[in-house]
Amino acid sequence: MIESASNTGHSVAETSPHLIEQLEQAIDLLQQARDFIKPDKVSRLFDCCRRIMQQPGGCALIESYMQRIEQAGVFNNTDYAQPQILIPSLSAQALKSADANSVVMEALSNLRLLAVAKGVYKHQHVSAEQAHHHLTHVLAINLERLFSAADEAERTRQGKLGQLSRHLLQHLAERIGYEHIIEQLIDEIWRILQQRPIQLANIKQMVTQIAICQQSPDIDLGTSGQGADRLISSLYGPTQSCREDPGVDVYLERLATMDAAALQYEATGFARAMHDTGLVSPYHAVLLRYLVENSDHLLSEALGLSSTGRDCLLSFQELVHALIDKAVHPASAQAIYGLAMMLERSILYQPPLAPALWRQLSLPLSDFARQRLLTLFGDNPAPEIRLLEGVLCVLGQPLGVGQGNNPTCQSARAISMWAYQDPDYLLQLLVWAARDDEVIMHFEGQALSSKTLPSGVASELPMDLDPVSLILVPHLDRIYAEMGRRCAERESDPHRWVNPEFHGWWCGRGFDINVDVPTGKLVNLDAFLRRFYASYHPYYNGNQPLIHPQPAGVAITDSAMRFIGWHAISILRVALDQEQTMRVYFYNPNNDSGQHWGDDILVSTSGHGERFGEASLAFEQFASRLYIFHFDPLEPGELAAVPETELNTVMEKIYKSWGVNR
Amino acid sequence: MSSETPSSYNPEKGYIALLGWSLNAVEAAEDFDRRYVVVAPDWAEDYCKQHDIPYIKWNFERLNDRSMEIAQTLKEQGVDVAIPLFEETVEWAGAINSVLMDNPRLLGQSMLLRDKALMKRRAQLGGIRVGIFEEAHDKGDVIRFLKRVNQTLLKLDGDPNDPIHLKAFDKAGCLGHRVIRTPDEVDTIPDEEFPVLMESHLDGWEFAVEAWIHNGKIRFLNISEYVTLGYSVFVPASPELEKYRDQITQQIEKLIKTFDIEFGFIHPEYFVTSDGEMYFGEVAYRPPGFKVFELLERAYGFNAYQGMILAFDPKTTEQEITDFFPREVVDAKGHAGCFGVYPRLRVVSRLEIPEETENHPYYDFHDLNQPLEATVTKRTAFGTHWGLLYFFGDDALTMRDLLEHQESLDFYI
Repeated sequence: MIESASNTGHSVAETSPHLIEQLEQAIDLLQQARDFIKPDKVSRLFDCCRRIMQQPGGCALIESYMQRIEQAGVFNNTDYAQPQILIPSLSAQALKSADANSVVMEALSNLRLLAVAKGVYKHQHVSAEQAHHHLTHVLAINLERLFSAADEAERTRQGKLGQLSRHLLQHLAERIGYEHIIEQLIDEIWRILQQRPIQLANIKQMVTQIAICQQSPDIDLGTSGQGADRLISSLYGPTQSCREDPGVDVYLERLATMDAAALQYEATGFARAMHDTGLVSPYHAVLLRYLVENSDHLLSEALGLSSTGRDCLLSFQELVHALIDKAVHPASAQAIYGLAMMLERSILYQPPLAPALWRQLSLPLSDFARQRLLTLFGDNPAPEIRLLEGVLCVLGQPLGVGQGNNPTCQSARAISMWAYQDPDYLLQLLVWAARDDEVIMHFEGQALSSKTLPSGVASELPMDLDPVSLILVPHLDRIYAEMGRRCAERESDPHRWVNPEFHGWWCGRGFDINVDVPTGKLVNLDAFLRRFYASYHPYYNGNQPLIHPQPAGVAITDSAMRFIGWHAISILRVALDQEQTMRVYFYNPNNDSGQHWGDDILVSTSGHGERFGEASLAFEQFASRLYIFHFDPLEPGELAAVPETELNTVMEKIYKSWGVNR
Repeated sequence: MSSETPSSYNPEKGYIALLGWSLNAVEAAEDFDRRYVVVAPDWAEDYCKQHDIPYIKWNFERLNDRSMEIAQTLKEQGVDVAIPLFEETVEWAGAINSVLMDNPRLLGQSMLLRDKALMKRRAQLGGIRVGIFEEAHDKGDVIRFLKRVNQTLLKLDGDPNDPIHLKAFDKAGCLGHRVIRTPDEVDTIPDEEFPVLMESHLDGWEFAVEAWIHNGKIRFLNISEYVTLGYSVFVPASPELEKYRDQITQQIEKLIKTFDIEFGFIHPEYFVTSDGEMYFGEVAYRPPGFKVFELLERAYGFNAYQGMILAFDPKTTEQEITDFFPREVVDAKGHAGCFGVYPRLRVVSRLEIPEETENHPYYDFHDLNQPLEATVTKRTAFGTHWGLLYFFGDDALTMRDLLEHQESLDFYI
């Protein structure tokens, strides 16, 4: 990444030479324009810059043009004309704006400062040091943006513009140097790893960036970056024998010379690193394959299994060997973590599971499915292997499924729920989708085939997904959307009928919603909340723990309590945390569940009794964002026992956030 | 600027008054070699002062008793000619120029060019083919006209009607343009829009012409091809339309003769029917809407406003104007087109240019803004697009298909 920064500008020149021509033209036009007409000509330059910066390497290109762009008068009559008065913290708002011109203006100003900081552009108002200082602050302020994938709020507000902001920040970070932001970066990586996502490409990229920074003689990290060692080593050298990252071939040779004790030492070393971080080193795959051949009694150590997992391993030894043989390679090492966690869940004891996995091992892929996998993941390893790795990860980490940068939260939720609750069914759907390119589900007795349906919620085929979701989501999305269409004429919210039909029999047929669908106004708030408490809160439902995960809908708000949109989650359990607070533990298909919903409602992902991948909120905080839930009408709970004061607190929170003007 | 640096203009050439406020026109004048002054309403005053733009305050309303005042002011200043930039200033230019040039006919001519009904009659008298037209003073007139036109076409009861077009007498281009097919639709016309001009629908290929005229001769003639009326236009036209260039030139010459135009700039619209017959639609004596001037500059590289200044200025020499204009079609570097965006959804939250548009090698830029309101007002008449997309490329057919395809895309989502 770092070495590419200086020459990435070429990529735009190669892919879209006409853009550079247009940029030259737009700059010249602005340069020549009389002062009074400059504002008119600026929009043309803005549009051109926007398109360039949305492309990979575009920011580097624009950076090299910044002196000309500024001197042409792009900042005339704005605050940006005086960079010395700019305030870094305002950049966050500008980069989040839905207005393309605000985003582009901010991006241009920062790239201009970058050129100044690099000494390429001598500016009359700011020095290189001032510019550098300013940009470090900008990066720190926007760190979250730099290291997280787009969330629902960003997508709704900004669309493709979000990509521009991301490109800018990545470019700034590469050019300014990660050492200035590395500490915050490390904390952020740990926080996300706590949630054990299946998709780790971003995280691995970040860890790699830190590693590159640490190794580069040109980068002085100072005292920063100490906490990164564990992350880097778990990817590139978890044990003594591969500490210096010797390459997989060398490592394999070393294994051949080891005695039993040394192998055991390796096995526990890898297992510890893996369970610590959720990251799996390619060397781990080498070891595992070696152990299957030579000393399979160490497999359990190498997978870091508890007695539960070991039992399962021993009961299904042949299957596990076959899975390792097919799925575990240095390029698909995450399969190991998936496998270990799947064994720990003991789901292989469900009668259909083992045969279903045998079927998965020899599943032929349709051309379409193969192509999708190839496009996203490349051909190393082969698409079949990549999919199998994905299957193991989904079965091992059902709460690690994420929706990527797509509006398909319902499909992600369903995949996660099936992996968690009905893995046999998930494998069946996957076979239909991957082999036959067709998934048939039934809605109120009528068959719906994904093959014949129009597109779903997502207008384009989603791409940034784990292998299983990549195959399934396009089908699920269409079916889900069709179920919605079939209910469009009905009164009340379509989720009432769609959710139970789509997810499974365990989804409660009772349904409550606190929003009047045609008007969007709040209705029936008191009864809604009372029923939710009586159905889910152990103090009012006869101390009954939640049995099955239940789909629910929340109104997402941002940190300023503004309503952003409706979002699909599932409620997993309700329990007391270690501080005796009653909490709702739930699954959020967003890639990062740790979100700030305003009014001190900070969704927690660790430290409050969460299991990997769970998000949690205190019961009343959760209730204050809930707008749809399902329940069993035959188990109404003790409605009258719910205290009025508690409900009033919740309602207050609703009225001051997403309930404003409803 | 001009007032302080008299050396920046050529004293041998005319002194120009621009009637109406157009930044692009001001820029063109500022960059040209003629002395100029902007005549515009009072809201432009601060801006002109701030940027040293020569300016005379005038509020253009209907011609009235005070009309002489502005003509006298300009005459005293030594202005040679007034150039109308908008439909509303066309008769002002006529009135002012008749004083400046001591030629009363110019006022009458401008009145003809301002009233669509009068202009059609005049064209008819000059032997130019026009469709059936009539003035309407109320809804009853419209219904009668619709029925009569369709009877003429030998339609039986129950056959779908041929539509008729309604246009305001004195508004530019598509403003107030409505298409009426059934008597029910007549009810949707607000009473205050009357009187209007009604025209039969001509099934044909509609196009526009921009012609710069000096000493009664055409100096540059551009044909603008409409892909879909009210949505998109490109210049120069495709070879299929350009093959009519000789015929079109003859038509324009007829028009110049009929309207007795010695100098200036005209922007007529025509239909060519499937049998190659030309029908005159209307003519305007001012720059066209839809940024055709900008497109011409993109395609040919000359500034169309400066071309207008040359065509109006009585002191322009034959040599000067011949040198200024490029050769039609052959000198164009490519085809430049633009597309007017209308939101298609009823509720929109933001502007997003579709990737296929943005990534097309012909795409140039856009001047669209973020939506100010989430709810989109229903379209009743033509002419209220939210901004334009600009394209440029070599092939006319690709351009036409590209522009047409934009109609099926959402830019506001």
